[in-house]
Amino acid sequence: MKPAVSGIIGTLGMFTSFVLSLYTAFLYFTCDKVDGAYQKILAANTTWLHFTDKLHIDMGVLLDPISVMMLVVITTVSLMVHIYSNGYMKGERGFHRFYSFLSLFSFSMLGLVVATNIFQMYIFWELVGASSYLLISFYYEKPSAVAAGKKAFIVTRFADLGFLIGILLLSYTTETFDFITLTDVHGTAILQGSGIMFMGLSTMTWSLLFVFMGGMGKSAMFPLHIWLPDAMEGPTPVSALIHAATMVVAGVYLVARLFPVYAISAPQGLEFVAWVGGFTSLFAAVIACTQIDIKRILAFSTMSQIGYMMLALGVSGYGGEHGLGFMASMFHLFTHAMFKALLFLGAGALIHAVHSNNFTEMGGLRKYMPITHITFLVACLTIAGIPPFSGFFSKDEILVAAFEHNKILFAIEYIVAGLTAFYMFRLYYNVFWGKETHYHHTPHEAPMIMSVPLMILAFASVFAGFIPFSKLVTSDGIAFETHTEWMVAIPSVLIAVLGIGVATLFYKKETAMPQQMAARFGRFYVWASNKFYFDEIYLFVTKRIIFSYISRPIAWFDRHIVDGAMNGIAWVTNYASYSIRGLQSGQLQKYGFVFISGVLALVLVFIYLWTI
Amino acid sequence: MNIENLFLMRHELLLIAFAMVVLFLEVSWGTKSKTPIINISIILFGIITLIGFVPAETGSLFGGSFVLDNIRIMMKNVLNIGVFIILLQASYWLRTDDLKTRISEFVILMISTLIGMNFMISSGDFLMFYLGLELATIPIAALAAYDRLRNRSGEAGIKLILMSALSSGILLYGLSMIYGTTGSIYFDEVATRISGNGLQTMAFLFFFAGMGFKIAIVPFHLWTADVYEGAPVSVTSYLSVISKGAAIFIFTIVMFTVFKNLAAIWHNVLYASILLTITVGNLFALRQQNLKRFLAFSSISQAGFLLLGVIGGNQMGMASIVFYVLVYIFSNLAAFGVVGAISNITGKENIDDYNGLYHTNPKLSLVMLIGLFSLAGIPPVAGFFGKFFLFMAAAEKGLYILVLLAVINTIISLYYYLLVVRAMFLVKSDTAIPHFKNDTTTRISLLLCVAGIFVLGLASFFFEYIRELSFGM
Amino acid sequence: MNILTLLIIIPVITVIAIMFSKDLKQARVVSAIGMGIQLGVAIFLMFSYLAARKAGDTTEMLFFQDVMWFKSLNIHYTIGVDGIAVAMILLTGIVMFAGIFASWNMEFLSREFFISLILLGTGVFGFFISLDLFTMFLFYEVAVIPMYLLIGIWGSGPKEYSAMKLTLMLMGASAFLLVGILGIYFNSAPQGGALTFNIIEIAKVQIPVEAQRLFFPLTFVGFGVLGALFPFHTWSPDGHASAPTAVSMLHAGVLMKLGGYGCFRVAMYLMPEAANEMAWIFIILTSISVVYGAFGAIVQKDLKYINAYSSVSHCGLVIFALLMMNKTSMDGAILQMISHGLMTALFFALIGMIYGRTHTRNINEMGGLMRVIPFLSVCYVIAGLASLGLPGLSGFVAEMTVFVGSFQHADTFHRVVTVIVCSSIVITAVYILRVVGKILLGPIIDEHHQHLTDATWTEKISTVTLILAIAAIGIAPLWLSNIISDSLTPIIDRLTLLGH
Repeated sequence: MKPAVSGIIGTLGMFTSFVLSLYTAFLYFTCDKVDGAYQKILAANTTWLHFTDKLHIDMGVLLDPISVMMLVVITTVSLMVHIYSNGYMKGERGFHRFYSFLSLFSFSMLGLVVATNIFQMYIFWELVGASSYLLISFYYEKPSAVAAGKKAFIVTRFADLGFLIGILLLSYTTETFDFITLTDVHGTAILQGSGIMFMGLSTMTWSLLFVFMGGMGKSAMFPLHIWLPDAMEGPTPVSALIHAATMVVAGVYLVARLFPVYAISAPQGLEFVAWVGGFTSLFAAVIACTQIDIKRILAFSTMSQIGYMMLALGVSGYGGEHGLGFMASMFHLFTHAMFKALLFLGAGALIHAVHSNNFTEMGGLRKYMPITHITFLVACLTIAGIPPFSGFFSKDEILVAAFEHNKILFAIEYIVAGLTAFYMFRLYYNVFWGKETHYHHTPHEAPMIMSVPLMILAFASVFAGFIPFSKLVTSDGIAFETHTEWMVAIPSVLIAVLGIGVATLFYKKETAMPQQMAARFGRFYVWASNKFYFDEIYLFVTKRIIFSYISRPIAWFDRHIVDGAMNGIAWVTNYASYSIRGLQSGQLQKYGFVFISGVLALVLVFIYLWTI
Repeated sequence: MNIENLFLMRHELLLIAFAMVVLFLEVSWGTKSKTPIINISIILFGIITLIGFVPAETGSLFGGSFVLDNIRIMMKNVLNIGVFIILLQASYWLRTDDLKTRISEFVILMISTLIGMNFMISSGDFLMFYLGLELATIPIAALAAYDRLRNRSGEAGIKLILMSALSSGILLYGLSMIYGTTGSIYFDEVATRISGNGLQTMAFLFFFAGMGFKIAIVPFHLWTADVYEGAPVSVTSYLSVISKGAAIFIFTIVMFTVFKNLAAIWHNVLYASILLTITVGNLFALRQQNLKRFLAFSSISQAGFLLLGVIGGNQMGMASIVFYVLVYIFSNLAAFGVVGAISNITGKENIDDYNGLYHTNPKLSLVMLIGLFSLAGIPPVAGFFGKFFLFMAAAEKGLYILVLLAVINTIISLYYYLLVVRAMFLVKSDTAIPHFKNDTTTRISLLLCVAGIFVLGLASFFFEYIRELSFGM
Repeated sequence: MNILTLLIIIPVITVIAIMFSKDLKQARVVSAIGMGIQLGVAIFLMFSYLAARKAGDTTEMLFFQDVMWFKSLNIHYTIGVDGIAVAMILLTGIVMFAGIFASWNMEFLSREFFISLILLGTGVFGFFISLDLFTMFLFYEVAVIPMYLLIGIWGSGPKEYSAMKLTLMLMGASAFLLVGILGIYFNSAPQGGALTFNIIEIAKVQIPVEAQRLFFPLTFVGFGVLGALFPFHTWSPDGHASAPTAVSMLHAGVLMKLGGYGCFRVAMYLMPEAANEMAWIFIILTSISVVYGAFGAIVQKDLKYINAYSSVSHCGLVIFALLMMNKTSMDGAILQMISHGLMTALFFALIGMIYGRTHTRNINEMGGLMRVIPFLSVCYVIAGLASLGLPGLSGFVAEMTVFVGSFQHADTFHRVVTVIVCSSIVITAVYILRVVGKILLGPIIDEHHQHLTDATWTEKISTVTLILAIAAIGIAPLWLSNIISDSLTPIIDRLTLLGH
């Protein structure tokens, strides 16, 4: 089969599901609500594996606002990536493999979002992880790619262990896997296990915290974030699809899916989510300011944005107006998917043209690649939160929610907003302006098949902000009114503008200021640029502790102690047989002596000693 | 008592007649080659063996000093089968140049010991018992020394005769004490009069030591190794299966009947000596290089297993003993047959001489393999069933610890049996024994053994039959 | 004739046929045909079992047949199967079939090889159909003994040592087993009546508890050793490492399952009180072997050792789940037996094929095989993913059933050890990905590996058969898990209601 064919097949397949999901969304959001709320619709459900009468894994399709929204997001981005890859992957070895993996991923991701029960979600969760592993180590002859894939899989696997334990605990307390039963706010399941169990937290809280651990792994929340930057070893379209738009937000989706449970019976859990999100967003934003690999910058920015969404969920309450954060989070998830995919695909186009990931080897590209330049600029403005681009609206809602909930988090988010604007434009200027490095062959605009998706996504990022999310996707399905809080919005815009300004000052023309700044921060800058040495810490734990201090001793113990014991028995037997050989001397008189003494011994023992 | 009562002694009488015939042949043959004698005697003996199975009435003679009941008939037949196979295996060896002039001597000696054993098994009092015992023992010494051109053979003969003299002395002493304390030598009377006082206990212990010599129970076993190694292969196999079997038979009967009242004591005696015998036998066998010596020690531990049936003291016990001896005859003679065949042709008797045997003589190696597996008690061959039933007999008494220890010992024995298997199958050797063809008689004998090894276990008939005949305490 | 008896007769006939075959070509064809028929019979058995159940036949054992053997001892040749036995028979059939094809080019003493291999298989089939402890034990030893020759003659590395060690340890275990069985037999009629070896009969009475306390450990350990129960597992790494491909497949794939099967069919089913009393000891041991085996596998360099240790871990999970004694966990245990049987057989088959090409099993001497032998490499990745429990492959189904089932236990101890055991899924991922990364991915490190040839058609048959089975269970597990859990009912009832 010719490579092109497989590409077309994949794209067409994705296109079909794109159309279908749009149709689904249209049907769902236009169907009549029950007392003003969108209902959870169980489109299909069949038992897949039967554990006990209460606990059984079903396979099915659950439609509610968030899953429908996710369907749209996934299919849109996935379609764009499918189209784009036709150009980007042209002539690569394993073109078929690429598309089959891509489709496998899309399948798993869709299965994940429509899951009707937490175990189905776990199943597809694992599949998503596996296909991510396959795609990251797509260039399997590159050791770094292999290592990255391995790292991604094992870190997320570790997180999934938490997820699994969470599921076990949750199902043990609530006696169900089913989402509808779980999240039924009037039901009994949600109130199960609210009693204090361990370290001042209720069973429910513990199980939800464990579940969230899985989310942290997938969504690269601190401290389980280390796999995401390395995952950039995969082909760029993959990064756009998996590690920016869809898979990494699975964690957010997980929390959103269980949101009622969190909000009602595990508020501490929700608090934890908020703080993890907040911290990660700051942490990642700081690192992003110091990187020079454009894909890694984008990766850290992804972490930081997902931090936003987590925080939004964390600060949200349940129902109506209180559900603002929830709505904002979903809103931001949507817009972020669009503009981050755009950014990555743009980056792909750049790498395609320059054959390097480092912006130090780029510069002044705006002349050569106008389309990429414009779309990239749009994306930057969107993520920086400049009105009227979509990023502004979603981020604004998040800030409002944070403001109402907790001032410290709110402050953090302000800083992050500034940093975001700064590092994005640092990137932008370094790539498209700055001094022109001389290229061994002049960069050229990406082919149509790659630039069209860019334009479509750019369009989406611009106008997605005007979608009335508060009417469609809310915590309890009931629409409510939102109005722009100018008290919050204006300062945030100003901060963003400030960030952009600084970036412009530093990087539009080449100046010495960046170095001075770096020197000003000194040690801190070095740490940040080394990602605060987290990889090294992990490396130490795995290589040193697990390998040298656990596994090797165990292996040794097994060989020498346990096995030694078994061989010891054999040795003892042999030794015994060796030591009694003297008896068999071949001398008759000795035999006679033994014979007689044997008789005497018998007599002695059984007549005198052992008298019955 | 009238003439047809003598038919009760038909086994013995037939054997005597047979010996006579052979003797007559010997003298009347004249100067021509006497090799046909062995074939004739094999055929004759085969007929005798078959006649032994003809059902006939049972009863007792000479005022109860000669007893014949069905289980005793069975025992005698078992022995006959064994001797028949041994004769088959011996024939090639007997026809070798330096021996072929003395074939009938061998046959007559062997038959006379067999007669002795038959009398011993049928004995109803200690006099008959002792006569049989001695009649069985002394010719064996001559047999052991049969190959007089080899010093070791002579040494074996001398050692055997001296040691058996010692043991017989002690045995006789024990018997005299029994007579002294009970005033009778008849088994049934003695049984009723034994009260278990010290002297009787001592008498029993002496008797036990005497029998222990024949059965080769530790510590009365020391003669076996040297004698087995020194004696010609056929004699060794005869010692290790036939005379051992006969001894254990009568021992069982006496224990079950005469010393019934001493059960409490002999239970402990056996308990100790079983463990001792099995373990020591195994430990010695572990390090043997010479196959005859190796089989000698393995036969010691086998004797220990047989005693499990005695300690059971029940019908199952006797049944399993007779059955196991039958199985053991086939298994051990399969092994000895191969060893003999090889040592006849090549004179090699060491385990590492057998390296790579399978590649040159696959058939022989397979026979050896089956024989060894049967000795080790590996299913589906008969040895497995035999051992299992012995264990059942002991377990029925609730002696689980003893059984466990015994079974663990089978693992040790498995180890050294596997050493031979390893030599034959695993080890590759360029100096492997070259391929050779066996003569018909040897082949027949080995075939018989293999057939027996497979049939006896899988076909439940044999065990069932034996069990019906046998009795417990 | 009873279809189950057929399962023993076909291999025996095959063996005889092989004896008359002249050379390797004939021998392997004959064995392939024989085992093909055998597999067909096994599949047919599965379907006719389902049909019988659907027809509403609720007797515990189907295709029941009882032939008196040793009348005076009440030893019978009693055969019959429930869903579990049927599943195990099917597993055995598949692995045997794949094993024959995996050893297609066994040049040295080929006839003897196939004969011993199939004899081993006969023992296994016989074991699974027997309902009489005596015949069960007989077949058990029949299955174990050929290992000595198989490893000793056709093995590699320190084969004689490994063969002897494996044989002696397993026969040593069977020593305990023998005493246990005798103990059961002589306590099988506490209210008087005929003693019996028949499992179904014994399951109707209650063996005196003090007797159980003595014989349960003997029986359980006796079987447990074959199930690689810590600390009696050390025969397995050496044994597997030295065994030829097909033997490793059969041994890890099927023979080790005899252990788990016997543990619940004999030890736990017949002596429920003792089982409940002593479970905790073995739970601790098994949870050790689960984690311990996994950690042990991380640092191994020899592919077979890695797989052997992972087998220790996975089989540990089997016995662990059995001891949790509720329907779900035991269901999971059986699933785990089957799943592990299939995937470990696949592993050993692939390792053998890779070794046959690269002539090394040291993972540091290989690399980038994905490029030169893609088919085998992809199969290996699939096996790996199955082993680390990826959904859609059998491993996931089994493990999740085990975990969920075990976690349903009321008291904390069981739930805590369950969590500990769960952690093995991470460790498994580590060593699987380590191997995949080292030998399949990355650049080719040995120039001689540049021009290796990919799988032959026989190898493809062998691997694809197994992969299909693994995927079938992984994608549609419900039917299998239902069959198993239905058949578990009597055992669970006895364990929970304690027989009275």
